[in-house]
Amino acid sequence: MKFSYLFKGVVASVFGAAMLLAGGTAQADYPCKEATFIVPYSPGGGSDQMARRLVPGLEEALGVGVNIVYKTGGGGAVGFSELHRSAPDGCTFSNTVVPNVIISSKGEGVGYKPGDFAYIGMTESSAGTLMVPKDSKYKTIEDFIAAANENPGMLTVAGTGGSGLSRWTQLESVLGIETTYVPVGGGVGKMIPMLAGSHVDGAATGANHATKHKGIVDAILVAGANEVPTLPGVPNEPDWNYVITWGLMAPPGTPSDIVETLNAALRSAASDPAVQDALTKGGYVTHDMTVAEVNAFMDAEIAKYAD
Amino acid sequence: MFEALLMAISPTYLMYMTIGVLLGLVVGTLPGLTATMGTALLVPFTFGLPTGEGIAMLGGLYVCAMFSDAIPACLVNTPGTPAAMATGFDGHPMVKQGRGQEAIVAACFSSALGTIFGAACYLLLAWPMVSVALKFGPPQFFWLGVFALTIIGSLAGKSILKGLAGAAIGIIISCIGISHAAEVNRFTLNIPELRGGVSLVAALIGVFAVPQVLSMILNLRKEEYVAEYKPEKGVILKTIIKVVSAPIHFLRSGVIGAFIGILPGAGSPIAAIVSYNEALRWSKDKSQYGKGDVRGVTASEIANNAAAPAAMIPLVTLGVPGSAPAAVIAGALMLRGLNPGPELFGTNATLVYSFGWSLLIAGIVVFFIGMLATPILVRIIKIPLRLLAPLIMFLAIIGAYAIRNNVFDVYLMLIIGLFVFLIRPLGFHPGPIGLGFILGPIIEPSLVQALYISHAVGVQRVFFSGSVSIILISLSVISVSAVAISRYRSRKKENVS
Repeated sequence: MKFSYLFKGVVASVFGAAMLLAGGTAQADYPCKEATFIVPYSPGGGSDQMARRLVPGLEEALGVGVNIVYKTGGGGAVGFSELHRSAPDGCTFSNTVVPNVIISSKGEGVGYKPGDFAYIGMTESSAGTLMVPKDSKYKTIEDFIAAANENPGMLTVAGTGGSGLSRWTQLESVLGIETTYVPVGGGVGKMIPMLAGSHVDGAATGANHATKHKGIVDAILVAGANEVPTLPGVPNEPDWNYVITWGLMAPPGTPSDIVETLNAALRSAASDPAVQDALTKGGYVTHDMTVAEVNAFMDAEIAKYAD
Repeated sequence: MFEALLMAISPTYLMYMTIGVLLGLVVGTLPGLTATMGTALLVPFTFGLPTGEGIAMLGGLYVCAMFSDAIPACLVNTPGTPAAMATGFDGHPMVKQGRGQEAIVAACFSSALGTIFGAACYLLLAWPMVSVALKFGPPQFFWLGVFALTIIGSLAGKSILKGLAGAAIGIIISCIGISHAAEVNRFTLNIPELRGGVSLVAALIGVFAVPQVLSMILNLRKEEYVAEYKPEKGVILKTIIKVVSAPIHFLRSGVIGAFIGILPGAGSPIAAIVSYNEALRWSKDKSQYGKGDVRGVTASEIANNAAAPAAMIPLVTLGVPGSAPAAVIAGALMLRGLNPGPELFGTNATLVYSFGWSLLIAGIVVFFIGMLATPILVRIIKIPLRLLAPLIMFLAIIGAYAIRNNVFDVYLMLIIGLFVFLIRPLGFHPGPIGLGFILGPIIEPSLVQALYISHAVGVQRVFFSGSVSIILISLSVISVSAVAISRYRSRKKENVS
């Protein structure tokens, strides 16, 4: 029985090689021989996962090979500015994460503005979530608020760098509490053990992480008006304005017809039932946007962080 | 667990794991191609395989790269991945003395033992170990980094002050770019490329390879080869006996490696450094360390290999990868719709255990493949310097580029290398500078985070309470005072004579 896997593997790789050789015949409306997908975060992270999920569908829709290239560093800024410098021919695109792409652009000398890029589409989003360790004294958001009011500034909450700070202080002002923010860099991977080991009292990040790590941390508050299906019974805070949205973008000045082609390819890749299923189970909300909708969405987001 | 073993020894598992090991041999040997890069490149090719075979292949690559990175570290003093830096401290002097084969065999055999030790921890002690790992928060990581820094006492050569200065240079260079915690630009001189920081791998290649190549070129008239090639009969058995007859050394290195391996964010490079330092501390005859003591090689290799399977422990228990290659393997599992962590352990423990067995068997395979490859690899030193120097330079440039696909990293690698070459005659060693590169990214963000937490609960409670912190502080103090005392004594002796 086991050998049949082996056989399948060999057959699959032979076929794969044949497909690659035959892949030279690109679709008429996509001018590139191959595409480069810049992932601005580390291998294995959320953006890498997203790229890997989408690449098979993108390759099929565009009719060319799509190569993933990691350009990591600076909270995504390195990859974003690399994309900004790339030729606007539609052959190079990257992940985009909102609000990270907006907040990172505020740094001095970054070399890009969030309004510059040609946005291809947004595929998924996740609501901000406040999490506590499984064995925390604070079982509910009421416990947490009461403790914060009793000892202002004594509770510690971890978040992701500068974008996390801006979203956490917004919740602080909504709830009228005062805590100490602890910034965590280099991805959420380091935040979860810090929280599970009770080195901080809480952590604020996307519901996708709260879903993935349900076994070791508890969510006690979700941003926005809608319940997250993977976190049943967790109360909402409608005034907490914290949503993380993932999508694809191309260099500034990419011709609009190529952006449309990429948008169609992205939407077909993301509509794959397996992709949709993985996202829904993972605590994400899925999106399917036209280019006009993406641009309207980005204008609104950029305005939101305009201070 | 028995069922899992049967899975792991099935022919397809063994075959794909062995392919992974062979790829790991290549990936680890080439500086710049790290285990992280290697596993990330391999992931798409595992999609056609069933999950178990796929991750066994990735695991095989990972553990073998932790061995093969010792090969360039020994032969040409350039670690193949950051984890092999400590291996080169003694491995390269051994090669220079014509003991190249012994160095590689020792590295290979101890890598195999380390892998088996780490995998045994994964299979038997995953849960108790991970509960200790959770005790490590920002202040504990800070103290762990400080403790690892005390190795400078043994590396610095004549002047401790220059050792400290070297490490400080390394740490400061590692701080370049957007800070991890607060997203502030530091030392970027308005050069946009510097915002992403200096790549650790490129910097290490610069520190070790460039000065090596430059001095090869300068010595071309004097020397024609790196070292003499002296194949010795029976050296394999002799070396293995040497390693096996030091069980305490093995256990200490294995325990340190496995323990540091499970800490998310610490990983193999730090495991190797701490293990090297402890081997030195506990041995009676310290005179040969840094000059070609085989125990230096084995301490580093046992630990960095034990750390590799151990880095999978937090992944399968908590869902948090213990190292960058473990993160890639986590990604490969999640793309298959599996959620590594308590969920996967609960629903498919057989898969989790079969991975542990695969890693254990990979240790054995690494040994045999390493033994087959050693006679060929050792002959690298038979290449005349006039050919070897450009070859190393070529690989260094490719490696620095490959790590982030950025030509700017190549320039940085060359600048750092030239800098180290120029300050070397002043008594600065590359070791402490490389140490600073590796430890900076651990010490600095954890210090900043711990200081943030101290706003809430006070500096004293954050930094000086809790058993882990106290132990690490005491170890650091003991380590520093031991160095101070021994230096004082040897100076006194010199004065008397």
